[in-house]
Amino acid sequence: MILDLHAHSNASDDSRAPIEGYLKWLQKKREVVPVDGIVLTEHRQWSSEVDYRDLEDRYDTLILRGAEVETDYGHILLYGVTDEMARRFDFTDVHLRAQEVVTEVDRMGGIATPCHPGRPSIGLCEHYESKPALEGVRAVEALNGGSRRGENERVRGVMDEYGYKGFGGSDAHLVSLIGICATDFAADICDIDGLVRELRDGSYRAVDFRERVRAARG
Amino acid sequence: MADPLPEIDRDLIGREFDRTVSKPVSAERMIRYARACGETNPRYLEDGPNLVATPTFPITVRRERFVPEGIPMEVMYRGMDAGKDVEIGVVVRPGDVLTGVGSLHDIYDKTGRSGKLRFVVLRMVVTNQRDEMVAVIDQRMMFR
Repeated sequence: MILDLHAHSNASDDSRAPIEGYLKWLQKKREVVPVDGIVLTEHRQWSSEVDYRDLEDRYDTLILRGAEVETDYGHILLYGVTDEMARRFDFTDVHLRAQEVVTEVDRMGGIATPCHPGRPSIGLCEHYESKPALEGVRAVEALNGGSRRGENERVRGVMDEYGYKGFGGSDAHLVSLIGICATDFAADICDIDGLVRELRDGSYRAVDFRERVRAARG
Repeated sequence: MADPLPEIDRDLIGREFDRTVSKPVSAERMIRYARACGETNPRYLEDGPNLVATPTFPITVRRERFVPEGIPMEVMYRGMDAGKDVEIGVVVRPGDVLTGVGSLHDIYDKTGRSGKLRFVVLRMVVTNQRDEMVAVIDQRMMFR
């Protein structure tokens, strides 16, 4: 099962992509981007009130939700977010302490995974050059669709050194970029608990569809 | 180390700082704007009973004050235009009198490749003489 674990809809301040736009695009491009579901990871926010079941049914695509928060070790994707987590941490704070986030989110039943680790300033790799490694990190975003040349390549070293698993996400902010990088899970996933379980202990790998997308454009 | 980003009083958020009433919109001005946008649709270009303004026309409404009194213009000069979001309401027709009400809508921080950024969102709600919503324009300014 292939999921894009990192996407931003127009609920994020820097994205103009409607969720339904992503779903229509995937429906149309499934042969090029064979993604079964997406995870919306809006910047610095969480709301338990939204419900996408109607869209899931209409487009036959799994829609899960997480969040992208900002910490002293760069940006971190949270999966399995709960209202308790949102009360524990002010998601709008761009100075969250990464170690607390990783430890507490894990304790509360979720998983915190550094994203685009190879990026300057907001990626884990740069912070590991001057600060101790975080304890409790299980996986990082090994493949990010929004990264510049060299940034994804930089992640390999950290994964090897610390034994992190790697997943992929498009980091789409525009409709046409959804699913360009994603994660292929050995198991089927049908809800957020399943995603957290698989990210913690399951088998998965990052998959890159960028070349296929470029080829399809002609 | 002191925060190099401008400190802006968050108590100003949501407070109206400007209310500017325009002169009645002329057909000529609507057509001139549509031409400048490269429009070819006759409903935006031909004077007459069916003429309406292009959807983005409300962004031509100018406020008398750009920022609240509590924010010095020197602070705003440090900022960069980070784009606009325009929610479009009812259409504008010749003779409409547009009122733009300005407020400080939001202040938020984020971090990017180049470090910490602060965003200030200035909102203008444009209404017509019937008090119908014509547009809600959010102008983002970015500081780094």
